[in-house]
Amino acid sequence: MTPALETQRNEDHKTAGDSFLNGIQGSVILLHGVFEPSVFDAVKSGSGTELFVMEGRPSLESAQTTCRELLRRKIKPTLIADNMAGFLFYRNLVKEVWLACQTVDDEGALCPVGSLIVGVLAKRHKVPVYVYPASKGSRAMGAQKDIFYFKGIKVAPQNIKGYVPLVEWLPKKYITEIRKS
Amino acid sequence: MSKRDTTIPEIKESPLFWPARLKGDALLVLDETLIPRKLHYIKVKNTKQAVEVIRQMKTRAFGQFLVVMQTFLLEISNNKTASRDVLLTRIRAVADQLNSSRPTFPFEEVTALVVGWANQAVGQNLDIRTFVPRCIHGYLDGIRARRLERVRKIAEVLKDGDSVLTHCNVSGELAMAAYIAQQQNKHIHFFATETRPYFQGAKLTAWELRRMKADVTLIADNAVGSVMADGLVNKVIVGSDRSCANGDFANKIGTYQIAVLANEFQIPFYVLTQPSDKIKTGKDIPVEIRNPQELLTYLKKKVVSGVVSGFYPGFDVVPHELVTEAIALDTRA
Repeated sequence: MTPALETQRNEDHKTAGDSFLNGIQGSVILLHGVFEPSVFDAVKSGSGTELFVMEGRPSLESAQTTCRELLRRKIKPTLIADNMAGFLFYRNLVKEVWLACQTVDDEGALCPVGSLIVGVLAKRHKVPVYVYPASKGSRAMGAQKDIFYFKGIKVAPQNIKGYVPLVEWLPKKYITEIRKS
Repeated sequence: MSKRDTTIPEIKESPLFWPARLKGDALLVLDETLIPRKLHYIKVKNTKQAVEVIRQMKTRAFGQFLVVMQTFLLEISNNKTASRDVLLTRIRAVADQLNSSRPTFPFEEVTALVVGWANQAVGQNLDIRTFVPRCIHGYLDGIRARRLERVRKIAEVLKDGDSVLTHCNVSGELAMAAYIAQQQNKHIHFFATETRPYFQGAKLTAWELRRMKADVTLIADNAVGSVMADGLVNKVIVGSDRSCANGDFANKIGTYQIAVLANEFQIPFYVLTQPSDKIKTGKDIPVEIRNPQELLTYLKKKVVSGVVSGFYPGFDVVPHELVTEAIALDTRA
């Protein structure tokens, strides 16, 4: 192997046995949804907790607002795509899940789409799920075209359909506790 | 092998089914990153360029396998005047370079075959230059016939009225099976996840299913639970990049959570596998962690403002207990 290849391999092709992953075992709070900003007042930086933020396709508003609020509090979040939550659970990195939900009743909560994924994962991996208030309500459905674009750039081919649920019902069996803030 | 092909008339082929072909002195590799905007083939002329197309994910999954096999053909033809020993050394060096291109795909299992044929040629005093290419071509013909067989197996799994969720891209086979199903008058609907950060589900899967006139709906990766909870999906079919002796497998990031959700909602989960017993369990599969910039920016646009970290594992490992049925490629010699 050439020295250049070796260097590239070391830089780009780290594998998941890395010390990075071992170093954050059980320390991740996984955040999803558009939270009331006051929710983050209790979060301390440097307390051995890592805050991972899901993108929240298609609008990405979830990631935008959560990252902005955390950065304002001098906390550097880590962004993941919505399909990467499972990996974090598989590797036992997650200690808590926080969801921002707009309506709560005795049967469950109306949460941003994607909450079922993390709720079911959390149940399988015995990780607590805390539901917090969302800062605002969401439409139930997006437009088809919302999923055809990413940051204004077309990502889908012509002549296909899109299905864009924006909220979903999370039954209470997936919720550990409902918190006011 | 061609005899086996002719027993089944006309499976309409997707460009993603065989995305790398030798033409003249170059290997033409389908640039999957440009689909659906255009069908463009990158000319690869040596090992260095082959490693680059793999590393830059211009091709992936089965395309990587094709690139690896045919890179040896390129190098043998590039070294026309080399002595037998020099050529053998060259083949080993090519194998080393390909093995270190990306960590999750089992490159060494593929390159070891070719190195083995080269050693066999030397041991039996045969001409490497003719023996090794003949072995490679024969092997590829065999794989091609077996993949076409698997396409037909998938078509059998597809039943009239099914709504199938798929993730990332299964290199032509699902789209070709969808075409066969149509010929059989089965009405099948597909949900394709978009598959961040490179959108292979949107750009490749939805595109090739549409080319086959299949009924396809694109969803965000986070909508998997919603469509399952609402009963909009009755089967999941995904591909795999690497399999273990116990049935665990690695596939595109996002596959694990789909498998867990399918299990929770009791939806049958099928995986296309290339059986191998080189690795015992999924815990032993090396998973590539890619550069977070690939996730934090898209065509130079930042996904969120401000300076944040990113984490981009390229693959998931799915334990075998979440698999309803593996649709295996027949890998017997």
